[in-house]
Amino acid sequence: MKRYLIVRLLELIPIFFLISLIIFIILNAMPGDPLLTSRLENPRAIVRDPAKIAELRKYYHLDDPLIVRYGFWLASFLKGDLGFSSMYKQPVLGIILKRLPNTLTLTITAWLIGLVVAFPIGIYSAIKKYSFFDYFFTVLAFIGISLPTFWFALMAIILFSVVLGWFPISGVQTYGVTGTWNIFVDRIKHLTLPALVLGLVQVAYWVRYIRTSLLEVLDQDYIRTAYSKGAQERRVILKHALRNAMIPIITIIALDIPYFFGGALIVETVFSWPGMGRLMYEAVLASDYNLAINCLMFIAVITLLSNLLADVLYALVDPRIRLGAKAV
Amino acid sequence: MLFMKKKIEQLQDSAVIPIGTYWQLVRKRFLKHRLALVGLIILVFVALLSFLGPFFVKTTYDEFDLSAIFAPPFSEGHLFGADELGRDVLVRIMYGGRISLFVGFVSSLITTAIGLLVGLISGYFGGIVDRLLMRFVDVMLSIPLFPILLILTMVFGSGLTNTILVLSVFGWMGVSRLVRGVVLSIRENEYIMAARVLGTKRIKVLFRHILPNAMPITIVSMTLNLSYAILSESSLSYLGLGIQPPTPSWGNMLQRSMNYILSTGHSKVVPWWLVFFPGFMIFITVLSVNFLGDGLRDALDPKFVSEA
Repeated sequence: MKRYLIVRLLELIPIFFLISLIIFIILNAMPGDPLLTSRLENPRAIVRDPAKIAELRKYYHLDDPLIVRYGFWLASFLKGDLGFSSMYKQPVLGIILKRLPNTLTLTITAWLIGLVVAFPIGIYSAIKKYSFFDYFFTVLAFIGISLPTFWFALMAIILFSVVLGWFPISGVQTYGVTGTWNIFVDRIKHLTLPALVLGLVQVAYWVRYIRTSLLEVLDQDYIRTAYSKGAQERRVILKHALRNAMIPIITIIALDIPYFFGGALIVETVFSWPGMGRLMYEAVLASDYNLAINCLMFIAVITLLSNLLADVLYALVDPRIRLGAKAV
Repeated sequence: MLFMKKKIEQLQDSAVIPIGTYWQLVRKRFLKHRLALVGLIILVFVALLSFLGPFFVKTTYDEFDLSAIFAPPFSEGHLFGADELGRDVLVRIMYGGRISLFVGFVSSLITTAIGLLVGLISGYFGGIVDRLLMRFVDVMLSIPLFPILLILTMVFGSGLTNTILVLSVFGWMGVSRLVRGVVLSIRENEYIMAARVLGTKRIKVLFRHILPNAMPITIVSMTLNLSYAILSESSLSYLGLGIQPPTPSWGNMLQRSMNYILSTGHSKVVPWWLVFFPGFMIFITVLSVNFLGDGLRDALDPKFVSEA
């Protein structure tokens, strides 16, 4: 297990370098002079003087070849120096760290909602294959896959916030609410609608995965054996079938974590939720390259980590992988 | 040969094997898939509405009618209502459909073509080329898609051409992987070896014998790319980064609708139709494309011949 983990971790390193290189090349393709856009708090005052410009260009290695500049950029990224945001006039790292908890709250809640809804439906669809229930959710899954997230979010706001008035329209909490309990309830109310929208969009995919992989397992001989030995259906499904079906399901669910960040970007924007996604959107609108690129790097790192998580979980549930044998 | 013929006749007697050319069978299987048929009909209807509809209406997408500001649906002359400037929502949906369908179709054609080419090369030539290309695909796939699309619009800028460009750069990897898989399995067949032994040039083998086998999966992935392109374009345009007003697209029609919904509050009627109709068009189009793709998958897959 340890060996397996180390190998997977080492494999991530070249991928991380390549991703950061691609992102750096995109950063370089952006219009505008970096002297004017990043790092300096008040660049316009300095760049009038040609000697000073030359000095600064040398200091920031702006005339070096791309790969050298990439090296310097990556080194400072790894040291935690992400540069300055031209929009906020603050270091980028501080801004991102302030927004990250909001995004995590939203995505983790949505992820849990997705799991809680998808599992019972997926399992039941597989057991009652080709029943009305199964067909109903097959069509519903198609609908879920085809829904534009922003439209779903807007319609939810119109119905539940504006017309019915059950939930607040946007934001994380209401100003002026006091008392720990009241703040908690207020925050839950703000969280409900965006998390539901984000979670339910994902349910459609998961139900299909869960149904398919459970159906594959239910065809196996050992399931028939378990039935013929007189095991209860409940026991066969939960103990024999689901445990084996979990292997591909877990991988997919962990691999889907990055998609939540993509979805969160839109949901956060519609609901004015001050998270990473919305921060990135604001940065793109304000042409704050440094902030936008670093948000992307953060999301890319989270993606890589969730790939690693998928591998680890895969190894945990499947001893064939853990013990070094080839998976079937 | 005679032996083969006899054997085929025997098989046809013993089991019901559908008779006809591949494409006849494909059509037969496709027509049996009811959801796919519904999808196709809706798609044709949406396309006709978008491309021919504007010839049958009196107004255009940017014509103001101050007397019709926020006219609700089914009011006189405005079946889907009118927006904050009194522009007819139905007419704007027709013009928006032209843009959204065009962007979706063109960028899915480009991504599918690139993916097909990369997959063919990677699968057929193998070795170091294959390893390098697939490694690159792995890396491209592990960059979160929607965030990178946002960044790319920042680099390329917005507008019709740039939106197509942005959607094409990061959309081809899935197709290339699928095509590569098919090519790898086809490459080892005896008839490929026979063609090579007969002295057929590699490039001819590739296009003549391998490409046709990769077509079914390519067509199916193109429908997936199409639905994804339409969704991405509308999301980007909704965020103000794709197609720019006054040119309407289904996505950017929703752009400022939120303001009007919030500002009306509880007292007046909420102009829900500004959000509902354009979004519903995106939804029903993407849904139809997905149904169509599902039907094509079943119809084109030769494995299903034996089950039919």
